Parts: sequence; C-alpha cells; structure tokens
Amino acid sequence: MSDHSKPQIPEKVVEVVVDSIFKKNGVKPEELKKNLSDEQKKMLKEMVEDLKKQVDQFNNKNKIETSE
Amino acid sequence: MTTYRSTRVISDKKSKTFFTDRTTHRKKCSCESDCDGSCRNSFSVSPQFDVNFSNSDATISQDADQFSFMAQESAELIWVKESCNIKVHTTDTQAGVSLQAGLQLAIALVLRITVGSADKSDAISQELFQQFELKQTNKQKIFICNTKDATVRTKDTDLAVNIQALLQILLALIVLVDIF
Repeated sequence: MSDHSKPQIPEKVVEVVVDSIFKKNGVKPEELKKNLSDEQKKMLKEMVEDLKKQVDQFNNKNKIETSE
Repeated sequence: MTTYRSTRVISDKKSKTFFTDRTTHRKKCSCESDCDGSCRNSFSVSPQFDVNFSNSDATISQDADQFSFMAQESAELIWVKESCNIKVHTTDTQAGVSLQAGLQLAIALVLRITVGSADKSDAISQELFQQFELKQTNKQKIFICNTKDATVRTKDTDLAVNIQALLQILLALIVLVDIF
C-alpha cells in the first residue's frame, strides 16, 4: 500500500481524525463491533481487500509510466 | 450555528460588495458604515441592499445520496503544430475516478452497516470527506510547435493522492471496527 514517492497522510493523523469524528457524533467503536455479524465482516473484508488491490494496481500503473 | 452571508458584486463604478445579515437585520454598505438614503462616503447614490438575496432555505444537512459526489475537473489540451514524429501519452483518468467513487461508497457503506442509524452514519461520512477536502482541478495545456521526435507524457497525480487518502480512511475505519 505505501508508496514513498507519493505524498501520503500519516496513518496516525487519519486514525485520530476518524476517531474524533466518531466521538463528536457520539459513536463508540466498541459498540460498532457488536453491530457486525461474521458474515458482514467477511463481506466487508473482501470488499476492502478488493479495493486495496485495485488501488495498488492503479498506483503501479502510474509508476511504470513515469519510470519508463 | 452557521450564519450565511451573501455577497453581490455590482459592476458599475468601482466593484462594490454588499452584505446582508439576516440574523441581526443590520445592513452594511460597502463603505463599511450603516448608510441609509444615500451612502455617506458617496460610494453610490443610494445604498443598494438586496434583502431577498440571502437564501433562508440554506441548511447544512445534505441528502444521503451525495456522498459519492466529488468536485473534479480535469482539462487537458495538447496542441501539436508544424511538427512530426510526436508521441503523446496521457493517463486515462476515468479508471481512477471510478476507483475513487468506489472507495467513497465503501467508506459510506462500512459506516452505514456498523453505525446502524442512517442519519448518524451519513453525518459521519459527510464529515470524513469534508476533512480530507477532496476538491481538485487539473488543467494542462501543452503546445508543441515546430518540433521533431518528441515524446510527451502527462500524469494526473492529484487523483492518485485522493485515492491514497480514501484508502487510508477506509483502512482506518476497518481497523477501528475490528474487521481486520
């Protein structure tokens, strides 16, 4: 996922922002875990992995084009 | 509470901007003082206020279906003139744009499923996208004239950054709700 040639938002920053927005809206991550069934978890996991793959592909394509 | 102000630029004489603030019913002329009848600093013959201009219907809530919207502008112009043997490579941004939309939808979806309440999840996803201001303009103009054997390669880096940011948000969310 990480490609150092690209400007990236530090992971911690993203974490803190997401966490603070959750807090602001009165949502607790612990409660969210309970709302998920195993099946949903699996589905979401697959979805995220697929998207991650696509992003990697996209980044690689760009990289090849620049290094040519 | 957010106060909405409206601006209007009038093209005669100098450019003037008037503000009407409905909450206080105070009117301000562009000369920065409360004028009525005629402007004290003679910016205009009579101060012009457009009370109806401010839109009282403006709200901060948005429809749920707006989360996949993203301001994006991409304009590319390559002009080859009086040249020969010019190679042009441009990156197809379409694939990136749909990937971006996919990521945004995924974020909204994860929130929708986990948070349960639709109102709350919409508010959260809206806020997330606002935090990582995803607005971009990309304008390129390339002019090649009287050239031989040149290769041009363009690349849209803005999109790559956006996609990276969205993926990071998605991963952070996923970790937070303990899916991974």
